[in-house]
Amino acid sequence: MAQVILKDVVKTYGGFYAVNHVSLKVADGEFVALVGPSGCGKTTTLNLVAGLIPISGGDIYIGDRLVNDLDPKDRDIAMVFQNYALYPNKSVYKNLAFPLQMRKLPKTEIDSKVMAAAKVLDITHLLERRPRELSGGQQQRVALGRALVRDPRAFLMDEPLSNLDAKLRVQMRSELKRFHQDLGATIIYVTHDQLEAVTMADKMAVMNGGYLQQYDSPANVFANPVNMFVASFIGSPAMSLIPMIAVTRGTDVVLTSAEGWELPLSAENGRKALKAKSDKVVLGARHSTVKLHKSQVPGSVPSKVYTVEPTGDITFVQTFLSGALVNISLDPTSRVEPDENVFVEFDQKRMHLFDGETEMALTAA
Amino acid sequence: MTVMTDSAADRRLRHKPIDGWRWAGRIFLVLMLIYTIVPMAWMLITSLKTGFAAMMYPPQWLPAEPTLDNYTRLLDPKDTIGQDFLRYFWNSLWVSTATTILAVLVAVPAAYAFSRFRFPGRNFLFFAVLLRNMFPAVIFLVPLFILMRWLGLVNTHGSLILTYLTFGLPLAIWLLKGFYDNIPIQLEQAARIDGATRFQAFILVVMPLSTPGIIATAIYSFIGAWNEFIYAATFLNKNDQMTLPVGIQRFFSENTTDWPGLMAASFMMSVPVVVLFLVLQKYFVRALTEGAVKH
Repeated sequence: MAQVILKDVVKTYGGFYAVNHVSLKVADGEFVALVGPSGCGKTTTLNLVAGLIPISGGDIYIGDRLVNDLDPKDRDIAMVFQNYALYPNKSVYKNLAFPLQMRKLPKTEIDSKVMAAAKVLDITHLLERRPRELSGGQQQRVALGRALVRDPRAFLMDEPLSNLDAKLRVQMRSELKRFHQDLGATIIYVTHDQLEAVTMADKMAVMNGGYLQQYDSPANVFANPVNMFVASFIGSPAMSLIPMIAVTRGTDVVLTSAEGWELPLSAENGRKALKAKSDKVVLGARHSTVKLHKSQVPGSVPSKVYTVEPTGDITFVQTFLSGALVNISLDPTSRVEPDENVFVEFDQKRMHLFDGETEMALTAA
Repeated sequence: MTVMTDSAADRRLRHKPIDGWRWAGRIFLVLMLIYTIVPMAWMLITSLKTGFAAMMYPPQWLPAEPTLDNYTRLLDPKDTIGQDFLRYFWNSLWVSTATTILAVLVAVPAAYAFSRFRFPGRNFLFFAVLLRNMFPAVIFLVPLFILMRWLGLVNTHGSLILTYLTFGLPLAIWLLKGFYDNIPIQLEQAARIDGATRFQAFILVVMPLSTPGIIATAIYSFIGAWNEFIYAATFLNKNDQMTLPVGIQRFFSENTTDWPGLMAASFMMSVPVVVLFLVLQKYFVRALTEGAVKH
């Protein structure tokens, strides 16, 4: 296993930047998720690391080697594709043996390695079958087997779970995580599903529009999103974002709403709000940090219930506030009706403030 | 109870309107079969008759004294007719096979390039390739003849092979491109990551998957060349060079026509095509219906 380093990597198609000056370091044995909406450049980035498409600028290192101009076969990596890309005319055994045959290993060694990989993945009984005779989950295992049969420097995975049904996906998710822990493998994992990224990865790289938005541990990305895109992309339901106007009242800073209500900010939040380029400030709050009251309490603001979604453990309520929808999680025993007039209270310590112009997070420092 | 009513409704739906169409379809198929089989059958029947029996009126539907004389004569290298027939057969086989091999050799890489690579002028070139097949063959007869004379190829099989390629190649490239388009590019990418060069990925992974397409393409090219008449009649005028479609005309002469001999020769001519089809039909059908490897 080895580290993977991207330095200022660029991929352009004509004048279009598919990957725009992305730099990140994947340490040896680290599981990094590239996450973002479709078209954000995450798969392109992965293909650049694999060498399947030529790089337009910047450098990629695998281990200590600069691999910019190396063929995929010389980069010593393994890849798992979204559609598995199993060789349809070869048996499972031959699919697993192919990477070893291409490296001209002796037959006995190939056989022992294939059998070992098959045993780990519990597909020994499928070795004589063709890929089309396998279920989706079994194909997935074979694809994984073909990747791990040859002990590569890094594993690249392109949405490997997205073709599985929901139940199998959750099961394979924990198996992949276990696999990473047992092997200490360096893994770069592309997904559009932020939940997969959060649950499996040591670090996540959130991408949008070809840019790397934030690269940090899932906990840090969740707690301190750097901008409104990351804030709304990570977490389910998404962080509520409410556009406000910041006004100074003596020593206090107050957020005012177009609806007429006001929200006084704590001293620290006030300092943050004043860092904004203009008076436009966006208030961000995760569902678990917002409280809902039937009658007004100090610091709460009036709102109207839009939907009530009981999920069993938690009941999610959406309310209208200043033209935006606010997600609130409640105890399932709470009785709230749609169109009911309620009061919403934000937690000053756990709220986020963003610059309404630049969409960047506002910090006190 | 609901299950029963449902299935009853299903049955009614399935039966009433569709049956009428199904029968119409069957009748149509039978008519088409008669239309295609009767001439073939008549050819075979006539080829088994003597020259006298073939001319009888009313015609004998089945030969009273079937004979294989016409066939033994054609296949006898000592007989003058047999000598000619075997030479025509050999010429046809050589020209068609050479055309087929060259067409596949050129079409495979060309179709792959059209399918996988983005290069300037790609769409124009692909259109240009097809353009050739948008005009009737006769239009090119005179220009190609002039070209062949200029190249010194008149009265050689090379002129026919080159000409047949101009028809066969565009179709072959077009057919094969469809095939390659349907092979997921991830298969090649996987092979390249697994340690194959681009060329190895093509040979080891893509080629085996496109075998049905290559076979279908080869059959098309072969049949096109095997049956071609106008160019062969124009470019060749030496007896020992003629191909079968031109050569069997020798059974017509000014005053008489050897119908049984002509029919026997025609039947023999259709044998290679039928054999090709029977042996390779599973690939051929797969190529035309599936057109791809389902993944």
